[in-house]
Amino acid sequence: MRRVHEFSIAEALLAQVLRHAPTGAQVREVEIRVGALRGIEPEALQMSWEAVTHETAVAGCTLKMDLQPWTITCPECGRSWTSPIPFVDCTCGNTAPAPVGGDELDLVSMTVDEEET
Amino acid sequence: MSGQTRTVRLPIAERVLEANDEIAAGVRVELARRSIFAIDLIGAPGSGKTALLETTLRALSGRRRPAVLVGDLATRRDGDRLARWCDRVIQISTGEGCHLEAGQVRLALGQVDLEGVDLLFIENVGNLICPVGFDLGQTAKVGLFSLTEGDDKAAKHPYLVTAADLLLLNKIDLAPYLSFDRAAFEADVHLLNPHVPILEVSATTGAGLEAWLAWLDRGVARARGASAT
Ligand SMILES: Nc1nc2c(ncn2[C@@H]2O[C@H](COP(=O)(O)OP(=O)(O)OP(=O)(O)O)[C@@H](O)[C@H]2O)c(=O)[nH]1
Ligand SMILES: [Mg+2]
Ligand SMILES: [Zn+2]
Ligand SMILES: [Zn+2]
Repeated sequence: MRRVHEFSIAEALLAQVLRHAPTGAQVREVEIRVGALRGIEPEALQMSWEAVTHETAVAGCTLKMDLQPWTITCPECGRSWTSPIPFVDCTCGNTAPAPVGGDELDLVSMTVDEEET
Repeated sequence: MSGQTRTVRLPIAERVLEANDEIAAGVRVELARRSIFAIDLIGAPGSGKTALLETTLRALSGRRRPAVLVGDLATRRDGDRLARWCDRVIQISTGEGCHLEAGQVRLALGQVDLEGVDLLFIENVGNLICPVGFDLGQTAKVGLFSLTEGDDKAAKHPYLVTAADLLLLNKIDLAPYLSFDRAAFEADVHLLNPHVPILEVSATTGAGLEAWLAWLDRGVARARGASAT
């Protein structure tokens, strides 16, 4: 597949998941949190994840993405709201309220099936 | 007895690029120890990263002891161009990789004599998105946009704009031929990053170079001061 920006992130995530997976456990789901600044295309990351995990110990493991929106603040009227895109107009008529996004890219949790002892 | 499984959620809370960031932190410590001001130069393919470095290295000759790392997908061309102006140039072939990673920088730094070097330029792979998220251990990130790309490119690449310590707007010599709205570009930049300076330059004519060189001088002075304490 084409080398998209999301591919290297999927590769780094896979290495990290394999590092954290308890021995003998089957990883079912991986949950990540992604700040708006990262500009991640969820479909591209999902496809990359499937590609990099294919035929590995975590093949078939679900990737859950918690995509953080932009926080928009309007200095004219004091309103603040969230938006999937950074450049939006305010209802007060201001065409340039300020967008603030996070740059986090974190592995939040892993859900695993463990053998009962 | 086996067959009985239970599902558990394990909280992790770790950065996905933790492994890269850790190497970058090591590089940063080493560069600081050597009082080197290191720049990660990020811009689109063809924005003029190599051209700017050529002009800059020529202007700095005799004044500074720079070293250059240059990431390139498939060729040695950029490295060869830069080697005409600086004898400490390391080419990093990234192959398929669309960005540099800290491990590649650490490896390349091991191949160059850093004795007396005060300024390190790292030309990242031509790409406005991917390189921004990978810390290389640099002291400053410089984003390079150019007039030919269009005035909407800052708005379309908010991560670079917010992460940059300095933005350069290159190919200013072409302004008469293009309908690039500099005020609109600047307004988008400052909505995303209110304090980042923007310097207009032309790598080919040398216009605006003094302000860029002065910015570099201040960075070198700061790097020196920081390691003296
Ligand atoms: N007119 C004009 N042309 C420029 C300027 N800077 C660079 N160019 C031209 O733009 C083209 C690309 O320049 P490079 O320096 O190779 O760009 P780059 O960003 O290093 O490209 P990659 O490394 O391939 O990503 C060349 O033909 C340069 O001569 C400038 O300030 N003015
Ligand atoms: Mg180049
Ligand atoms: Zn408003
Ligand atoms: Zn990349």
